[in-house]
Amino acid sequence: MQPPTAPTAQPAIDVRVLGVRYNLRLTRKNTVRESFKNLARRRTGPSHFWALRDVSFRVSPGESLAVIGPNGAGKSTLLQVLAGILQPDEGSIEVNGLISSLLTLGAGFDPELSGRDNIQLAGAFMGIDHADMVARTPGIVEFAELGQFIDAPIKTYSSGMNARLGFSIATAVEPDVLLLDEVLGTGDATFRSKSQARVVELMRSARAIVLVTHDMSWAREFCNHAVLLERGNVVAAGDPDDVVKVHEDRSEARRNGQQPETLPPITDVGLVAGSTPRGIGAAAR
Amino acid sequence: MAQTNEAIREAFRPQRPGILQTLVETAREVASRRRLIVYLVRADLKKRGADTVLGNLWWILDPLLTMLVYVVLIAIIFQTKREAYPLFVFCAILPWKWFSSSVADAVTCITTRERIIKQVNFPKVVLPMAAAAGGVASFTFGLIPLFAMLFLLYPHHASGWIVLLPVVAFVQFVFTLGVTLLASAVTVFYRDVGNVATHVLRIWFYLSPALYGADQIAALSAKNPEIATLFNLNPFAALFESYRDLIYVGQAPEWAALGLVLLESAVLLVAAVVIFRRVEPVFAKVI
Repeated sequence: MQPPTAPTAQPAIDVRVLGVRYNLRLTRKNTVRESFKNLARRRTGPSHFWALRDVSFRVSPGESLAVIGPNGAGKSTLLQVLAGILQPDEGSIEVNGLISSLLTLGAGFDPELSGRDNIQLAGAFMGIDHADMVARTPGIVEFAELGQFIDAPIKTYSSGMNARLGFSIATAVEPDVLLLDEVLGTGDATFRSKSQARVVELMRSARAIVLVTHDMSWAREFCNHAVLLERGNVVAAGDPDDVVKVHEDRSEARRNGQQPETLPPITDVGLVAGSTPRGIGAAAR
Repeated sequence: MAQTNEAIREAFRPQRPGILQTLVETAREVASRRRLIVYLVRADLKKRGADTVLGNLWWILDPLLTMLVYVVLIAIIFQTKREAYPLFVFCAILPWKWFSSSVADAVTCITTRERIIKQVNFPKVVLPMAAAAGGVASFTFGLIPLFAMLFLLYPHHASGWIVLLPVVAFVQFVFTLGVTLLASAVTVFYRDVGNVATHVLRIWFYLSPALYGADQIAALSAKNPEIATLFNLNPFAALFESYRDLIYVGQAPEWAALGLVLLESAVLLVAAVVIFRRVEPVFAKVI
């Protein structure tokens, strides 16, 4: 376990010239007939696109990084690579410690099984030791406020109950690196404030967090670094206030009909690669 | 700037592991996630029993009813002269149920788990493995009516050779595992495999000595020797005959034929693991 104070030499996350490529021919739902068609007219249109390219940054223990950007910028793809769900096609990625992803809550749930069985199943999918998961089950059940419903099949749960259980499982395992994707507004107001408190608690316990959000107040309030992604590239990196400002300016310009290429270059706001003291360096294009 | 990026990209280019490394890594992953396989199989068993009046009794009834259909068809309508036909056909139905249900599960096991594959990082190889292992469970349940039938209705067929059942079952397991791994991976890219599988399985069953014996094929191939060659290419020819030797006939299986199937199955399994691992990283992008 890393000591909570003073970032050590070993970063929690180290991403270097990361590239993730989607093959457009494969990502369609294929039938044999379609692939014969594809063979026939091979060279129509681009065969692949880069969801992420030349993305570099570093997150030290105790830091929390906000990833912001417009829709389709590659934010969720970035989280998927960090979680190990996608493999990099280029570059390298290094994560030190146990990762937990809160990408979409309740993803692995089996509707026919009880909440209790699903806790075990989720733990097994995440690779958590069985005895460890059994020990954590009472805490998960309590935090999710499921009461006696924990032994009822998940298919009888409301969507709020489902999300609460998912949140409780993902945050119960005390990960070293927590990945969050727009899930902070879970359930009703009471649970929302409780889950926010839990996230803040996890952040305080010196664990690295990567948060993908459209909520700029979260980026400003809870993160000490931010990167702005656009079309798979890091456009700006540094202090959340500055990066949010760049993002808002560029979104504003885009709404006014300007192309992103004609927008002011990022160096104007003083966010050049590696300029931040605590170790986030962005390899700009 | 573009040139430097190209140089940096080259320096950090991901490496692809070799075949031996792939096999070792897969074995390690499966060992570390064996509990996940157990959970997946158990969840599957729980679900199948749920919501039915007879529950787990269906594990026993299902192969019995299939047997009944073939007994009516072959023994009563076609008037086969084979003695103890229900036992004869049950020796093949039971392992076939295992194989066909495993393959049927395998073609859907990855595509139906789309959400978790996109949200959690886990070795996907456990999914087809659970499909193959789930079939073992149904096979084991099916042994209850098999033994009941053997010892109560046809005690004169019973012999000590039956203790070697796990040996033949092991050979079948290796073969089934190879097929489920391949089928599950290919279906991700070609959903048609799911539709094709049903029909391939049906014709495969009829081409295997399940409802008839290998002796009948021997009679056919006296005229056309190539029939025997083709027939023996089917691993289920040797497997069904081996099961039958142990249960119905009460004699040693043909070790050479069984050993050949094991060898072929092992080669298939290695190839299947390597292919599966090669395409595994693409699953989250494609499904």
